[in-house]
Amino acid sequence: MAGAGVNRADDERPDAAPRFDDRRDLLRPLRLFGLFFRVGALNELQYRANLAVQLFQSGIALGTGLIVLGLVFGQTSNLGGWSQSELLAVMGVHILMGGIINSAIQPNMERLMTDVRQGTLDFILTKPEDAQVMISVREFRIWQAVDIVVGGIVLAIAVSQLQAGIGVGAALIFALTLFLGAVMIYCFWLLVTTAAFWVIRMDELHELFEGLYQSGRWPVTIYPGWLRISLTFLVPIGFAVTVPAEALTSRLTVETLALAAAFAAVLFLVTRWFWRFGLRHYSGASA
Amino acid sequence: MTEPAIRVAGLEKTFRVPVREAGLGAAVRSLFKREHREVRAVDGVSFTVEPGEIVGFLGPNGAGKTTTLKMLSGLLHPTGGDATVLGHTPARRQAAFLRRITMVMGNRNQLQWDLPALDSFELIRAIYRLEPSDFRRTRDEFIEILDLGELVKKPVRNLSLGERMKMEFVGALLHRPQVLFLDEPTLGLDVTMQKRIRTFVAEYNRRYGATVLLTSHYMADVQALCRRVIVIHHGRLLFDGGLAELATSFDATKTIGVTLKDGSADLSAYGEILSSDDGRILLRVSRADAPEVTTRLLRDLPVADLTIEDPPIEDVIERVFADAKDERDDATAAAKATAATAASD
Repeated sequence: MAGAGVNRADDERPDAAPRFDDRRDLLRPLRLFGLFFRVGALNELQYRANLAVQLFQSGIALGTGLIVLGLVFGQTSNLGGWSQSELLAVMGVHILMGGIINSAIQPNMERLMTDVRQGTLDFILTKPEDAQVMISVREFRIWQAVDIVVGGIVLAIAVSQLQAGIGVGAALIFALTLFLGAVMIYCFWLLVTTAAFWVIRMDELHELFEGLYQSGRWPVTIYPGWLRISLTFLVPIGFAVTVPAEALTSRLTVETLALAAAFAAVLFLVTRWFWRFGLRHYSGASA
Repeated sequence: MTEPAIRVAGLEKTFRVPVREAGLGAAVRSLFKREHREVRAVDGVSFTVEPGEIVGFLGPNGAGKTTTLKMLSGLLHPTGGDATVLGHTPARRQAAFLRRITMVMGNRNQLQWDLPALDSFELIRAIYRLEPSDFRRTRDEFIEILDLGELVKKPVRNLSLGERMKMEFVGALLHRPQVLFLDEPTLGLDVTMQKRIRTFVAEYNRRYGATVLLTSHYMADVQALCRRVIVIHHGRLLFDGGLAELATSFDATKTIGVTLKDGSADLSAYGEILSSDDGRILLRVSRADAPEVTTRLLRDLPVADLTIEDPPIEDVIERVFADAKDERDDATAAAKATAATAASD
């Protein structure tokens, strides 16, 4: 409390302008993520039952995945050039990326849609922070992150079964492709969600994406050309799942890596432009 | 002469909204061919507000109040004209500008629903990057003025509407903004709570010399806080001046209340009778005639008590809008059609 005997000069001038920390901070987006992560955790820790539900869901999904994989390899020893352990790696990446999407990307986008509909986006837009950063880091569902752990375990098992093993270099490149993949999925989601500025209701989007994402369970290289291309450039699931799996199974070419990096960069710039364009035309939910 | 806190010149905002007739057939047609209509929500509004002023923004629903506030807080890009707030162009949404303003909306919350308000305050501190000591002092000061005590430790969802609104105010003012945009901040609150919020706004304005732009449907809010009001209707400025002058310029009448010693009498010869109960009769007379009518009443009748008052501000406002209504009735219809489409979209 002011005047509680604290020896601060400002306590004698309660009307002094408040002080802000004005330093430039390149890690600001990460710090904001950390902040909201804390609040999200505080929120979700109240609902422990959700952890049980999530564990159950992840268990079922993992079980079905393994059974299907077993069935396929009961018939053949290779699918489009991929061995069983290699496909297990694809599955691991698929679960892991699914965990990232469901815990960090999708909840933010759904919140954005709700905020646009209810007009509460106004609170974000009047904060002295980059609005895109704010809407992208606000939500984190810790229980959904269970899939990140499950995916990691499946990956570890798959890698231990691969004859070649994997070096530090490949692991770093894998991490990089995973990051690029996540950026592309994020951009895809934000591009589509930004359309909510014009088309207010987009509830079905979630299901549509979920359905498409299931196709990433298999390497996109096994699909026919048109589908492969759509799943790579239209909805960048190929980049998000297949490419990291390629990095783990010594399939990744320099060209693919360069393409992934370039595509991620371009997509990010386009998304940022489109977001700002959307904001300029945002008319708000009228009161 | 100091720089005005808010300067608005010829501000305009036009919305392009899809319109369609009611019914399924029209709905299907609109899937293929959308018809649009331009709605001028704000149509060339100009005014300035000096630092430290509290200005009431009046107008019926759809008059353009909220749209103007949104343009001033950087949420909407004006279609035309200029707006300057604290020397900044709001639409550029610079951090230096956003740190000095705030927006409170009566029906919307920004605090975390499931958490105690204290956690949300901490988040707001971090977003505004406030010095921890400044932050704590401001926070505790507001908690004391609003008498929130231990409530800040309860999850927001467990608070009453009024308590939640007080928390919203604390959260919205933690960074001690110099310009406050308050859009119906007392909406739905009971009278005591409205009063509490009002006192708080007045106290904040007094302590920090902040400029306040307020919209409210409760005239009590406006009367208690604002010496100056700006009236807009159909996006145009109708009046800008003192609350008292509003009555003089739009309602040139006075209300005379008379109580007679010997019960009632027919006073219709003196003026228009507004009401007559418990022996007290209310007469409406034109402002110019008031002295003369009063003299006659006192001379002719056994008067026990006599009062002369300005008409209630609600009546004045009603009159202002009734006058302006005839002018652009079709525009209102258009605005309504818009609202209906937007709601059904």
